[in-house]
Amino acid sequence: MSEVALLQIIGLCVVGTGVLILLFIKGMFLRVIGFVAMVLGSFSLIALGVPQVASLPPAIEKFDLAKVKSPDDLASIGQKIFFSKGQCALCHSIGPSHSARCPDLNGIGAKLSQEFLYESLTQPQAYIYLDFRHATKPEEYPARMPHINKDPIGLTKPEIFSVIAFLQKMSGEPISIKVEDVMESQEEQTEAVEVALNTNSVSTSFVLAESDVAP
Amino acid sequence: MKSASHIKQSNVQSFLEKMPTIFKWVSFLSVLLLPVIAMAAGAETKAMSVEYRDVPGIGSRNLVWIVAQQHLLLAGFVLGVPIFGWVCEIVGWKTKEARYDKLAKEFTKLLTSAYATTALFGGILLFLLIGLYPKLMAYLTDMFFPSFLVYCLLFLAETATLYMYWYGWDYMQGNKKAFHLFLGFLLNLFAIGIMIVPNSWATFQASPVVVGDGDAWARAWMAMQNPTWWPVNIHRLIANVVLGGFIVGAYAGIRYLLAVSREEREHYDWMGYVGNFIGVFGMLPLPFAGYWLMREVYQYNQQMGITLMGGFLAWLFILQAMLIGVLFLGANYYFWMGITYRIPGSENSYKKPIMAMLVVLLLCLGVWMTPHTLVASLAEAQKMGGTHHPLLGVFGVMSAKMTVANIMILVTFMSFIMYWRAGKQETAGWAKAAKAIMNGLLAIAAVAVIVLGVWGYFVPAIIRINYFSVAQVLIVGFIMVTFTPLTALLLKSAKTTTEMVWGKMPIRAGYCLVLNAVMVILLMSLMGYARSSSRVHWHIYGVMRDTSDYAFSPALGYAAAFMSLNTFVYCLLVAFIFWVATLGDKAKAQQTKAVDVPGGAPVMAGGAPSTAENMKSGILENHK
Repeated sequence: MSEVALLQIIGLCVVGTGVLILLFIKGMFLRVIGFVAMVLGSFSLIALGVPQVASLPPAIEKFDLAKVKSPDDLASIGQKIFFSKGQCALCHSIGPSHSARCPDLNGIGAKLSQEFLYESLTQPQAYIYLDFRHATKPEEYPARMPHINKDPIGLTKPEIFSVIAFLQKMSGEPISIKVEDVMESQEEQTEAVEVALNTNSVSTSFVLAESDVAP
Repeated sequence: MKSASHIKQSNVQSFLEKMPTIFKWVSFLSVLLLPVIAMAAGAETKAMSVEYRDVPGIGSRNLVWIVAQQHLLLAGFVLGVPIFGWVCEIVGWKTKEARYDKLAKEFTKLLTSAYATTALFGGILLFLLIGLYPKLMAYLTDMFFPSFLVYCLLFLAETATLYMYWYGWDYMQGNKKAFHLFLGFLLNLFAIGIMIVPNSWATFQASPVVVGDGDAWARAWMAMQNPTWWPVNIHRLIANVVLGGFIVGAYAGIRYLLAVSREEREHYDWMGYVGNFIGVFGMLPLPFAGYWLMREVYQYNQQMGITLMGGFLAWLFILQAMLIGVLFLGANYYFWMGITYRIPGSENSYKKPIMAMLVVLLLCLGVWMTPHTLVASLAEAQKMGGTHHPLLGVFGVMSAKMTVANIMILVTFMSFIMYWRAGKQETAGWAKAAKAIMNGLLAIAAVAVIVLGVWGYFVPAIIRINYFSVAQVLIVGFIMVTFTPLTALLLKSAKTTTEMVWGKMPIRAGYCLVLNAVMVILLMSLMGYARSSSRVHWHIYGVMRDTSDYAFSPALGYAAAFMSLNTFVYCLLVAFIFWVATLGDKAKAQQTKAVDVPGGAPVMAGGAPSTAENMKSGILENHK
């Protein structure tokens, strides 16, 4: 018996019980309970009568850098990171958007160099000038952009390179990131993890657990 | 080696002898605790890697669903009741009518009994979340910890204020009443704080923002200010008033059905009327708040909006329309019954307008419930020329639904105005002109709402959403804002032709109040499921994915069965709480009959005003 059929039978039983209570029981409080049961059972039956669609989660994507053969492969990984782990699309749009809270990134790969993009992602405050508008000591404008290589987003170096590759490709620019650079940065990352493993097992296990989508 | 160890042993012995007894005990306990500490350290290491825990049988998600729903519904009642309880107290204070003060006290009695249960379910929910979703809770704690502290402080302040407000009710009368009202204000202020702080955690899950650098307080504040925080705050604030009003109405309805004396019937009939009025009063602006929330959801993430309105949750809005429709019908029906039974002689003069209102409401409900697309076989779809029915298809879109929602609000508002004016004859010289203007305005408003709705089909969606829908809301709002004071002015000098008779409502009026409360509870459960499911497979949308076995969102039928179960459990829980709360009244009522001595038993805080007064009058009579 399917789940829907089983629930329909339960619903019918609940409604039936409610009707029986209303027909044969004199106690007013019990009659109210019967009435409520009838209403709730009917609601369930109606809801079971509409199309039943469950929302199933998509498969979790694993980014395997070993399979990266070309800069285009890298850009497609970067695109996925842009819309998922990197959380870039929470604020930035690609093309004009009413809902974007931060600058439109359309064509950004053509406007900015690879180094500048990397710096903007990892040191967002680097080129933000001081605010001299007030009589008090000049202060830094707070950057809305977070450090993308730190918690809570915490992209790894290869992941950041992948995002830059995506931004360049999306802007119609040749991808300046080389696959070898990414592999090198991946090795650096692995070494760092190994060092951490030797020094602090707890924190490393956390890093590894968190890096579901990491290469 | 042996001698060395012997020396060490003797040193230890002498050290132990010199130690004060208390330190010996502490050392002993420390040794005993060592394995526990070691286990805890092991657990910590393990906990870091545990993302989920499950509950056999029922499943972790279902258990959290039940407990969270009970907590939220109880909290809605606990936060909604002080708002109108306090307003009621102010009305009593200003008009010097004791019955309002008594009613406010009765509301607060229900609140006091529900408060502890709400906190209890909150505690259970917290333990379950920490235990079953450690990774998510660690993330949220890291993000929001300072707000947890604020929440605790607010809770302490709320509890202390509630104690003073409730237990000081009888003491703070006369000159001290102003202070009592101030306590009521504080109670509401803290209650709103208690609501909006956790709202920020839940809305962050649905509409997270990227949190920049800063200290813990700055980061928490940034995370709190997410796009759906304030729409949800406003929506929940109003919804809590609606829930509280209808629950109080249902309580009064059941007490009315169970009443044995005329006084009881009169009192609970009146209380039922007030509860229904509060519910309807809150219900009228609620669709506007919901509209704002959905607009913000669309602005934040169009995909999330589409999932809600056009994706796998689309049919949910048909069920929502059905529940809202029944609620509107129930609330109006109760008003109409009030006109018929409380104001003898008016049933004939209002028969036609009531019939017209019923027809309009049913037509509007039909349009609201029309789905955008129909489930049809290929052959049926070919006959229709697509999945959109040629006739009904036009009613399935937002423009039609916004229009009928506004019309239904207008009709319900006019039901209330009609009830207000029934049994009274205006005497002011300008009454005729005022009534003509009101009728004209009402007709213009209705036509304007319909014209804007039809025009909405022919303009881009953004124009309709930003201008037409807003204009419809403003038109209806204008009617409500102008008609209410105008009617109050008209009735100020009016003469009463028929006195209101309380306690004469038929039995179905009590059931109607119960039905309204059940509809509101179901609606809140349904929309809670919608809000949660709109995140699809994310704990925090786009940030933290749900990787548990329960990452899927169940289909509507299964969810509705769960909502019904939750509603039933909640109704039983509330009935139990209210039953416990009224035990004191029953005991006192019995005492009043039994005790025949001057001075009798003192009136305790918590006694129903009517019972307390009956008791006093009984004692006075005995004196005489």
